[in-house]
Amino acid sequence: MYRLFVLRNDSGGIGRAQALISLGALLLCSGIGALAQSTALPLNGKTPFSIRAHHLLGLPNTKNDCKGTLSIQDNLLRFQQSGKPVAQVDIASVRHVFVGNESMQVGGLPMKIGKAAAPYGGGRVVSLFAHKKYDTLTVEYVDSDGALHGAIFQVTKGQGELVRNELLARGASSSPGEGRSTNQNTPGGTHEDK
Amino acid sequence: MKTNKRNAWILSVAGSVTIVVAFSGRLHGQTTDVKPSDASSGPAKEWSVQVERIDPGQLDLTPSFQVAIYENLLQELNKTKRFKQVLREGDGKAGELPNLLILKTTVVKYTRGSETQRAVTTVSGATKLTVRSQLVTRKGRIVLERTVNGNVRFFGSNLRATHNLARNIAKVIEQSELRGSEPANAVLTGQLCDRRDVQAFVGCRR
Repeated sequence: MYRLFVLRNDSGGIGRAQALISLGALLLCSGIGALAQSTALPLNGKTPFSIRAHHLLGLPNTKNDCKGTLSIQDNLLRFQQSGKPVAQVDIASVRHVFVGNESMQVGGLPMKIGKAAAPYGGGRVVSLFAHKKYDTLTVEYVDSDGALHGAIFQVTKGQGELVRNELLARGASSSPGEGRSTNQNTPGGTHEDK
Repeated sequence: MKTNKRNAWILSVAGSVTIVVAFSGRLHGQTTDVKPSDASSGPAKEWSVQVERIDPGQLDLTPSFQVAIYENLLQELNKTKRFKQVLREGDGKAGELPNLLILKTTVVKYTRGSETQRAVTTVSGATKLTVRSQLVTRKGRIVLERTVNGNVRFFGSNLRATHNLARNIAKVIEQSELRGSEPANAVLTGQLCDRRDVQAFVGCRR
């Protein structure tokens, strides 16, 4: 108490305390910034890279529409479901990597049933808000026979670009201008080619 | 008298058996003669197919849709058991196969949809795809040409349209006769919209 009282009355002490608080705040902000940077920037060539992903289709010996871990390690793009063998693709064989945006309804089947059962069209109102955006990561690669394969993953929004940059950094090829695909979520557009 | 009757009866039975055997042998010979020696008009089981990557034409079809159609087509064609082998584009094994058809798919029409819009309105937001599929021999002769639709109207993600489309294409190919000897001008062209249309098409053929 006495000490505090003294500090309050001592202008030099107040200045020191303020300086300490400012320094602490600065360190905190820079720490947060550094954390944000570590998730936003692609990792260098040797660091293992791993994210949660949803395999939609395309990988050999892997079930369609399943969740797992997508990782890049030792120049291999690997996808592993929990308790299942790893499916992997040599990054050197990757010909194109595309990233697109999509939007989906959340909640799965239980949510659908709930929305259908809601009275007075309440389910439709829920649908208006119960959606989230995600990235689709499309990887085109060739096997040892030269046959063309394609695999599509669904990842959290923003992570598709990270994986793409990481793959490109490790030797995957992608033509300029075709890496970022257009937004697939815009409804109503009709295209016809006759 | 009795012996004569018995002999006559035995002779008639023997004669009829001989005639039956002779005719069946002849028929069997005929069927083996009729079996086509030309590979182009042979049964489809002897054909192999190579699926080419999807041509988006002039349309702004996203790469994920192109890849999804391609991969789904390979899966669905394998399921039909119509072809000896189903190969991917660029597969080195294709050069060794004697009877190879190439499946070319060009997107003709594409309507972007929205899952949220479908969930909210029910009647709008459908994703629609229309493609022209051609089965072509190595020499470029068109064996089969069809316009096929695939869409998702109510439930499911937008990519589900590609699965429906691939299933429709595989169904059309499964239920069509592949005649490489037909002239290119005589190619049948049809439009299949959904399952009912596929069934109608089969009904016509029957």
